[in-house]
Amino acid sequence: MTTIIEFKNVDKIYKSGDHILKAMDNVNFTIDEGEFVVILGPSGAGKSTLLNLLGGLDSVSSGQIIVNGEHVESFDDNQLTEYRAKNVGFIFQFYNLIPNLTALENVELMKDIVTVNIDGFDVLDSVGLKDHASQFPAQLSGGEQQRVSIARAVAKQPTMLLCDEPTGALDSKTGVLILNLLQDMSNNKGTTVVIVTHNAILAEAADKVIRIKNGQIESIVVNELPKRVTDLEW
Amino acid sequence: MLAKKMLRDITKHKAQFISIFLMAFLGVFVFAGVGGESVGLEVNSNDFYEDTNLADGWIYSNYINDVFLYQVDCLGATTQMERQLVVDSVADFDNDPDITLHFVENNTISKFYLIEGEKLDINDSDGVWLDKSFADAKGLKVGDNISFEFEGYEIEKQIRGLGYSPEYVYHASTSSVIPDFNKIGFAYLSYKAFPTETVPYNVLNVKFDGTPENYDELLDYHMDGYYNSFVPQSEHTSVNQFSEEMDQHRMMGDIFPVVFILISMLILLTTMTRIITHQRTQIGILKASGFKNRSIILHYVSYGFWLVLVGSILGLILGPMTLPKLFYPSMAATYKLPSWNPAWSMNFVYVAALMVIMSLAVSYYSVKNISDEKPADTIRPKVPKVSTTGFLERFAIWRHLSFNVRWNYRDAKRNKFRALMTIIGVIGCSALLVCAFGMYDGMNDLKEWEYGQINHYDSKLVIEENATESQIDDVANEVNGEKLMESAIEIESGDIKKSGSLLVLNETSLVTPTDYDWNRVDIKDDEVSISQKMADLLDVEVGDTVKWHIMGSDKWVSTKIDKIHADPVSQGFVMSADKLEDLDLNYSATSIVTAEHVNQSYDGIKAVNSMKDMTSSWDELTEAMWLLIYILIFFASLLAVVVLYNLGLLSFTEIEREIATLKVLGFKTRALRKLLLTQNLWFTAIGFLLGIPVGYYILAIMWESSGDSFYILPSITLSNFLLTAVITFTLSILVNLMFSRKIKKLDMVESLKAGE
Repeated sequence: MTTIIEFKNVDKIYKSGDHILKAMDNVNFTIDEGEFVVILGPSGAGKSTLLNLLGGLDSVSSGQIIVNGEHVESFDDNQLTEYRAKNVGFIFQFYNLIPNLTALENVELMKDIVTVNIDGFDVLDSVGLKDHASQFPAQLSGGEQQRVSIARAVAKQPTMLLCDEPTGALDSKTGVLILNLLQDMSNNKGTTVVIVTHNAILAEAADKVIRIKNGQIESIVVNELPKRVTDLEW
Repeated sequence: MLAKKMLRDITKHKAQFISIFLMAFLGVFVFAGVGGESVGLEVNSNDFYEDTNLADGWIYSNYINDVFLYQVDCLGATTQMERQLVVDSVADFDNDPDITLHFVENNTISKFYLIEGEKLDINDSDGVWLDKSFADAKGLKVGDNISFEFEGYEIEKQIRGLGYSPEYVYHASTSSVIPDFNKIGFAYLSYKAFPTETVPYNVLNVKFDGTPENYDELLDYHMDGYYNSFVPQSEHTSVNQFSEEMDQHRMMGDIFPVVFILISMLILLTTMTRIITHQRTQIGILKASGFKNRSIILHYVSYGFWLVLVGSILGLILGPMTLPKLFYPSMAATYKLPSWNPAWSMNFVYVAALMVIMSLAVSYYSVKNISDEKPADTIRPKVPKVSTTGFLERFAIWRHLSFNVRWNYRDAKRNKFRALMTIIGVIGCSALLVCAFGMYDGMNDLKEWEYGQINHYDSKLVIEENATESQIDDVANEVNGEKLMESAIEIESGDIKKSGSLLVLNETSLVTPTDYDWNRVDIKDDEVSISQKMADLLDVEVGDTVKWHIMGSDKWVSTKIDKIHADPVSQGFVMSADKLEDLDLNYSATSIVTAEHVNQSYDGIKAVNSMKDMTSSWDELTEAMWLLIYILIFFASLLAVVVLYNLGLLSFTEIEREIATLKVLGFKTRALRKLLLTQNLWFTAIGFLLGIPVGYYILAIMWESSGDSFYILPSITLSNFLLTAVITFTLSILVNLMFSRKIKKLDMVESLKAGE
């Protein structure tokens, strides 16, 4: 397995006036291609900061972030935009679909930012939504919206899927379906999936579990035999 | 505590609140400012007329003796009368200025309005009270001597006082519409200053009860034959000209500010509604924590209230203080009033109050809607309006439209109200621009038409009234000139009676009657042509017969209309001298026109006007108009910026989350800017297209209201039309650029976190 994501001595410091907050303190880890990674931690631990840095939404104070051999920490705003477009498929807690576009259009929207040869309809089919292609987000259930959001992220064929509490707004049954879908992406299609959550149960299903606390890595555990998401005790 | 929240909210959304304030301010400012100007004119002139007891009418007769006075008194309706001798004289200066002398028996009607010097003394045989404008132009002071020549007499008097007269608010010679105070003036003298014992009084100033029409009939019935003519106040040249000017200003004061205030109210309404809708969840929280509905409503209603109140009051105060000051100087160059003060009208206050009340009503309505819901519902965001697939999506072409187009189409469809507001704003802007540029073109056209196409002589020599035929012919030969006759006439068709002008031409190449397209209209020796505007006013056409007479003469003649010509500034007849004599009327030339440049004086010639003089005085007269045009363009542009920015900002806050998402997904700032620009451009294009006919319509009303003597049709040159388009679209793009910084600065993390 090749390493495609690497955090090296990453610090992130927020300053507001005299107040200094170290949100990321000497963080080091690697993620391999196709891995199903779960990043765990209580609220305020720095999960979101980590996700923002990895997703190219924010830049480090010091240290290096290497994705696909490229130094993300050195990117300017335009390069970051391009990095996000090519490498990152975001999946948000609140789906963040474009309300004015139908499910299919939300997926095909990606063709506007990256040159990929995909059929939006097929991608929707792969998340089980081909019958809802022409519906608007507001006409879909939460789970369906999240599946559209996954389809949209996948359509870019990104280096990684970056999921921020993807089931946070869903009931547990629907949540399992979504997580199962993500695990399948990783297992069957070799997509790298990074999920940020505070739900510890998911740890058993991950290939790698990174626990953070107070901006520092608490532990990194590699599961030799991860469970299926559907087999977990919710 | 809520007051603190309000202040913080306002600081946070300053752009929106500033625009609320600005719209309220600008709307009332322009309304009260332009209104204050035109009401000011009315109040100032009325005050002046009242102070000086301006005559209700003037009776002209060859000799007004005591018997005549007795007869007029016997009419019963006459309440006050005063006779005087009005005579044209030439003052002793190099340029032979025309001074109209008034030898008065008393001065209680149409009183001389003293600015400096002594009061008019009716027993002073050595003094003269002179036109202040003329005195200023000549550098004359109280105490100086001045001499006049008239009808063979020469008198020298000492200037006792300088001032104005209500009969000379507007005073121009027959040869030029623009007063040149170096060449023209008036003076009041005691009847004792007249060289002979008996003064041949020829004008009787009268004040009377009842309407001028009734008085005219009374005179006609009882004294027919004893007097030459009667002029009621409204037809007096000065009064009439000034009231036409006032009409124009009133019209402008009515149309533009109303357009302006309507738009600012619309903007106010949208903004208030939006701000309150944005605070929805906060209202829910306030309710949930136990605030009474009443205090919540009060809190939100007071948001707009204070700003609108302060804005309106400021506009109410500053408008009349500033805008009239811009117009009055150029007005004061043409018209002579002792004071030029902006005036107030309760209408301004009503409009300001309406503005405040509307903002209150709208805020109340919006909050009420929300606060009537259960707190549990309010605390959650409103379920967004669902987009629907419609008509356009059914076509195959939809699949080929870019994301940009699809997104914008649906966004506009989902926010119809916002779309409508933007379009109305742009309509207002482009209509005002079309109107302003149309006025600009109209004014230029008119000048070129009148002083380029119709009249192409170099100099015009105005003939003295008592010049002999041989004197006139000598001068005409000397300068290679052509004689022509101009006279004021009155035309009647059916019930309609209009005053106009008569132009009698001999074969001449120096004056060419034209049609509206500036093509020569060939009027044969035995033909009479009527101007288009006069034909419209009288509702007559070629072949119809009308009755008319020359002013100052009782002789009415009937004439069949053979042709129609068009003229921008003088409406009436054009005919040949032969035709005039055929009608049994006397031909007497009033001026000589020549292609040569004349700068010397001749016997029998009263004044020489060059084409350059005329065009430059035309320019002076139209100065106020230009100012108005610039002000219009400025405010139209400002309006467009405020409307587009304000609505852009509103929609931006609404779609901030979407924009953030798109940014996170990897859309470049440029693409996102284009996304916002597209919609702006669509609305601008629609508003612009609709604004053109609206502007044309306003322009048509404007020209129509410019008085009976003007004939201009609304039109705009292609280049100015394009300029209108360029200004409108540039503003739209500029406003969009303001948002590109916002897109760049948009904090992706923050806007995504703010969950639904």
